[in-house]
Amino acid sequence: MASISVPLGGTGTAEVPRPKLRVSDFLRWSVDHKVIGVQYMVTAFFFFIVGGTLAMVMRTELLTPNLDIVTTGSQYNTLFSMHGLIMIFLWIIPMFAGFGNYLVPLQLGAKDMAFPWLNALAFWLIPPAGLLLLASMLVGAPEAGWTMYPPLSTLYSGDGQTLAALALHILGISSILGGINFIVTIKNMRPEGMGWWQMPLFCWAILATSIIVVMATPFLAGALTLLILDRVAGTAFFNPTAGGDPLLWQNVFWFYSHPAVYIMVLPGMGILSEVLSIHSRKSVFGYKMIAMSSMAIALIGFTVWAHHMFTSIQPQLRIPFMVTSMIIAVPTGIKIFSWLGTLWGGKLRLNGALLFGIGFLSMFVIGGITGVMLAAIPFDIHVHDTYFVVSHFHFVLFGGSVFAIYAGIYHWFPKITGRMLNLRLSRIHFVLTYLGFFFTFFPMHIAGMLGMPRRVAVYAPEFQSINRLISLSAFVLGISTFVLVYNVIISLRSGTVAGANPWRALTLEWATTSPPPATNFIGDPVPFPDPYGYGTPEAAAYLDAIDKEFGAPEVPVDKPAAPIVSEAPAGTD
Amino acid sequence: MNSMNLSSRTIVIIAVIGVLLIAGGFIFAQAIPLIFPPEASAEAKQVDDLFRILLIIGGAIFLLVQGLLAFSVWRFRAKPGDTSEGMVLHGNTTLEIVWTAIPAVIVFVLTILSYQVFVSIESPKEGEVQIQATAARFNWAFTYAAPISIYPETVDVNTLPPSVQEDLKDDGSLTIISPELHTFVGQPVEMVMQPRDVIHALWIPAFRIKQDLIPGRVTTVRFTPTLANTPEQPTYPIRCAELCGAGHGIMTSVVVVHPDEAAFNAWIIPLMDAVIHPPTDPVIVGHNLLASNIYPCFTCHTLNIDAVQPWVGNIGPALNGVADRAAGPRSTATGLSAADYLYQSIHEPTSYLVPGYGPLMPPNLVQTTPNDCNLQAIVAYLCTQSETGQPQCTIDLDKYAQQCGAPAAAAESTAEATLSAESTVEATVAAESTVEATSEATSVPAEATVAPTDEATAEATPGS
Repeated sequence: MASISVPLGGTGTAEVPRPKLRVSDFLRWSVDHKVIGVQYMVTAFFFFIVGGTLAMVMRTELLTPNLDIVTTGSQYNTLFSMHGLIMIFLWIIPMFAGFGNYLVPLQLGAKDMAFPWLNALAFWLIPPAGLLLLASMLVGAPEAGWTMYPPLSTLYSGDGQTLAALALHILGISSILGGINFIVTIKNMRPEGMGWWQMPLFCWAILATSIIVVMATPFLAGALTLLILDRVAGTAFFNPTAGGDPLLWQNVFWFYSHPAVYIMVLPGMGILSEVLSIHSRKSVFGYKMIAMSSMAIALIGFTVWAHHMFTSIQPQLRIPFMVTSMIIAVPTGIKIFSWLGTLWGGKLRLNGALLFGIGFLSMFVIGGITGVMLAAIPFDIHVHDTYFVVSHFHFVLFGGSVFAIYAGIYHWFPKITGRMLNLRLSRIHFVLTYLGFFFTFFPMHIAGMLGMPRRVAVYAPEFQSINRLISLSAFVLGISTFVLVYNVIISLRSGTVAGANPWRALTLEWATTSPPPATNFIGDPVPFPDPYGYGTPEAAAYLDAIDKEFGAPEVPVDKPAAPIVSEAPAGTD
Repeated sequence: MNSMNLSSRTIVIIAVIGVLLIAGGFIFAQAIPLIFPPEASAEAKQVDDLFRILLIIGGAIFLLVQGLLAFSVWRFRAKPGDTSEGMVLHGNTTLEIVWTAIPAVIVFVLTILSYQVFVSIESPKEGEVQIQATAARFNWAFTYAAPISIYPETVDVNTLPPSVQEDLKDDGSLTIISPELHTFVGQPVEMVMQPRDVIHALWIPAFRIKQDLIPGRVTTVRFTPTLANTPEQPTYPIRCAELCGAGHGIMTSVVVVHPDEAAFNAWIIPLMDAVIHPPTDPVIVGHNLLASNIYPCFTCHTLNIDAVQPWVGNIGPALNGVADRAAGPRSTATGLSAADYLYQSIHEPTSYLVPGYGPLMPPNLVQTTPNDCNLQAIVAYLCTQSETGQPQCTIDLDKYAQQCGAPAAAAESTAEATLSAESTVEATVAAESTVEATSEATSVPAEATVAPTDEATAEATPGS
């Protein structure tokens, strides 16, 4: 199959010193994409904890139908507004930017991103923007939700709304800079022997995502500019009493924010393609269909925005958006079935990465089914702005994106740190997260259909028992996060040394040391012609060559030495 | 799987699995009565029928995917120590076409079905009546046109207040405003809706309808009730579904579906009566004024009153039992009679401050020009707020009757009296003024001094 089966064309066995990671390297300006990637991920994870804490406060409040721990409805509105903004703009989007930064140059066999300095700038915009967003809570908190519909957000919210809009502006700039960088890197820096159709699917996903980012984010910037002008300069773009129109905001905002859903999901789908293939030891099923469906989703994603406005725009305008929203289910379905085909006939190594990959499929499909239900206008009218919708988008963004992030962490942690994560803890983390997640969000469908609107601190008493169940499950879900944090901490200190390629993976990021040296590779790596060609003698030869080059993992991969948990079950961690 | 030369055994297996999946979908659909509110409108029936199809198909896909995942984990998991690779399989064009085509057909069919239901729900119905809905932070008001012909007594139009005459002139209907939505089985309704401040959304879960109320626009939504309320379920909830601020969660109301038109008329005739024969007792007038939340008192004070929005403010002194204190320590401290003290406390709030409270209340919240009928009525009502329920003070009833008496009761009433009666009528007709006044008073908290003037409330008078 492959005429070239050696990853590092003829450099022979190299003496590669294993670079030492120092915390201080990550606290200062660096143009190394690997440092920047880690900076993104750690910063995003910090905000994940912040946003999750807000969610825990909300769920505590919702244990009873009355106001308990918050004293006014405004405080509760602040909680969910900040929760939404933080989770979207400071957790999922930058987290995937982190994965992209770390992995895209490595998967392409490149030494860095196309514009390293720009890359660093894009990251360093995030901490000040994040602090600005948090500070907005102190000066008349934004309480118009993450969707910030005027006139509530323009005429009725505190000054924090302006700060939040400014923070989003800065985060948008960061996103656009990152997106341009990814597109140029992927277009120009692929190595010899890697055509478009030999590119890892994660790179395809990042490419599709970056195209959306660059095309859509300017619309968010435009909308935010109008919002800020309405708030501070006395304009009336959204003020109907002076000739403006509140629906203008909804149209422009969702023209960004619906594609933003795919910004938040496509990279996760890329991670999933990598994880499912590598850990089931089998080629991705239908590589081209997966790659092309990413591009299809990216393009169709620009035509569905008004399905968020099925109760506000004129009835006759709703119909074309129902059609496009239905159509976009088809490429999504192709992906799900292709991943099921990937698992079929494989040799599944049920480690943390693959468990969360399967968890993604299991939960994301529910979000996909409810997505089709919501595209049906008559049903959407009933459940629009209810807990059904809250449930739907958490199945997409938590059951999808966050499960994919977890899978990615388990998968690439050995590459990034040089150490394995603990297998048993990863399984505990999975079970707690899967059950906690399901029982938090699935009952929300029912609450919504029965009549509970979203964004309320005070609700009808008949919904109390279902809210109790949701809150208690949410606490389990919250606690489960710290199993991962604990696992990361102990594994950094004393995890098994990973070696270059602990998973025996074919993509290029594994054809170098863990962590990779500053220039990523010694010499120019040669990609295996089929990034997912597992099970062939050529692939085995290529993988053996990597082991020979960098030394096989010190411990046989299927018998993990677990220094903390002594009797870890045999598996492939 | 990688061979498309299907043996008959494979076909049987696929067929059995397909039947099981669809059967599973039907089982899911049995849950619909448990997960939906009562099905109380023609639209609800159509939506539920559509959802049943969505749930059967969605449930089958759910079972298919979860089943394949569970089977894969069970069948293909690597045994401990097994380091071999999976089968070499890059794809299967036939299979990929199948799982592109089948979902495409499914969403095509669902789109057609949804379109049909949507068009049916949106289209005008025979015999439709209009009800206006108005939303303001954080309450609802519903405006009905009640034909004077349904009023059981013969009404001499010329004896009615001028504003009511004006109201009757165009269509022979009285404008009746209620904080609750009332309708009856089989009556198609078109709601015509406008908000006063921010975006709200009218949601009646039992009817499966929802529509945003958007500033600067008039939006409509249609429904035909099919299921009357019963003593077990006396009302269906109405909820605001679009975030509108701090009170979003308490912005609720109710629908009452009467079994027939006669029962509906039995509800609306007393409201018409209140317009045609406005109450003259100042205590009732004062109660109605306060309960309508026309004045923003409820933002700072607590009082047990059956208002649209509960009075739970804690910035000013609580008003429960205020008559006892007015007649006791306050009267002693100010040297005023209890009624005069209450009058002064509203008219010039800072001239005497209850110990422990600052000079926060703006003066002239209740306008006293051209007359002070509303303020007198409020004082009369507050005089009844005592521990025992007995009035602790009273206003000058003769003066009130002379200045503010209802014109219907006194045919020889002066022009001045007619004018004041207007505001009384307006206040009596339930919560109509709530819409006007609270939208001003509560939506601009920073400008709480903006007092609803009599001019402003007069705008809310029926038909003007």
